[in-house]
Amino acid sequence: MENSSVRRIDYFGAIPNTLDLTVGAGERLLVRFLPKVAFSDVRYRFQVGENASIEVVFADVIGHSGHFESEILLEGEGSSAQWFLSSFASSGDKKSFAPSVIHLAPNTTAKVESYGVATGESRLDFSGVSEIRKYARKSKTRQTAKVIVFDPKSDGRSAPMLKIGDNDVEASHAAVVGRLNEDHLYYLESRGIPRDEARRLIALGYLLPVASRFEERERKFVEETIMGGLFHD
Amino acid sequence: MERLEIIDLHASVDGISILRGVNLSIKKGESLALLGPNGHGKSTLLGLIMGNPRFHLDGGKIILDGEDITNLGPDERSKRGLFLAMQNPSEIPGLNSADFLKAAMNAHRGKPLTLFEFYRKMEAAYKEMGIPLEMSKRNLNEGFSGGEKKRNEILQMLLLDPSLAMLDEIDSGLDVDAINVVAKAINEAAAKGTSFLVVSHYARLYRMLKPTRAAIMVNGRIAVDGDPSLIERVDREGYEWIKRELGIEIEKEIAPSMNQVSIGVCATKEAIDNGK
Repeated sequence: MENSSVRRIDYFGAIPNTLDLTVGAGERLLVRFLPKVAFSDVRYRFQVGENASIEVVFADVIGHSGHFESEILLEGEGSSAQWFLSSFASSGDKKSFAPSVIHLAPNTTAKVESYGVATGESRLDFSGVSEIRKYARKSKTRQTAKVIVFDPKSDGRSAPMLKIGDNDVEASHAAVVGRLNEDHLYYLESRGIPRDEARRLIALGYLLPVASRFEERERKFVEETIMGGLFHD
Repeated sequence: MERLEIIDLHASVDGISILRGVNLSIKKGESLALLGPNGHGKSTLLGLIMGNPRFHLDGGKIILDGEDITNLGPDERSKRGLFLAMQNPSEIPGLNSADFLKAAMNAHRGKPLTLFEFYRKMEAAYKEMGIPLEMSKRNLNEGFSGGEKKRNEILQMLLLDPSLAMLDEIDSGLDVDAINVVAKAINEAAAKGTSFLVVSHYARLYRMLKPTRAAIMVNGRIAVDGDPSLIERVDREGYEWIKRELGIEIEKEIAPSMNQVSIGVCATKEAIDNGK
């Protein structure tokens, strides 16, 4: 998203439990969330008008348990949405995220990307629905949800859904849950990198693409919080 | 490194005995060619020396300059000067190559490199290996071709400057030009005192590297340890003479294949050259 004509809303620190935002016709909105205090049950709704676009960036790295749900309604023809989530769960955290996008109008596009790392005895759950309703023809939707599980007692789930109600559309999704690859750790360690540092590099590699959408100070917060969580476990 | 000693090393993978009493030593400045049929334990030996946890140590010792390093982690072995250029280097999603190189180089130093020092060294190494510097922005080995991965292994060797570099089929996947670049880098490191333990199936690479010694591994043991003329003999006659002259029955592959993506381009090129 170009910065010049984009309305930007940042929630760094405490984030609201509910949110209802409308993106007017032709408008472009960037909303970024970087919670620094725990949240437990969050529900957001975004309505996107004709030829409008929204980008939502969510970096969740603090230790807490909670459920997050969001719904982006692509109501206007030609509207678009992008959703980027990084979530880091450590210790005994139980986190679940269900970002959904509903295409209600023709020629709408959406990309949902969620990446997570679960360490210690934490659990991380990705779900959400990407739905294209009937008559939302020529719409395109893509959903990716990947969780990497670092420790024997950590747990990850990834079950995003696609619901397609029109034939003339493009839709794809990828859902992956994988364990931390021991070969990757060994490769980094064989170059002299200590095991803790190797774990940090792999976790950051997984989560930083979202963190890179923030400024230096916020990126540093993300990196340091992840490092703290890794060493705590 | 003055001397690496492998003493009566036994190891297994997934319950299958691969190394069955390996005894071998490498001295400072030596370049040892390790030959042997496929699946007889060469890669397992190199991995075990580097500390790959995939291999289960059943007995024996690895002594580096008098220190028993058998139970040290791979990072500590690396810091003591060991390096393994892997046959199938891992692709690490999301990990930027330059960030990785910086972390690896700093792990070998008391004081971290300044950004300027790091960039200068990295730039020089990329240039020497004929790799565009742009590749340093890509994720580590992700989407690299076989040849790019092998060059990247030698690039890491240049930057980490080990005292003993082990090269596991470094020539597989490389075209003729790339082999020349890699061989030049290896020879320059050898001239500066780096010792080498080199596994390859092709005499072509060995002719370029001119090892000082050669050994042949059969059935998980060192069957022959001698001078480099062994390389030419194996190239001419294969391994049948070992059974004939030493009475060693060569078993079928005993180690699980490590060679899932390797392609022997050298052999193809040589065949084409010879056909001209």
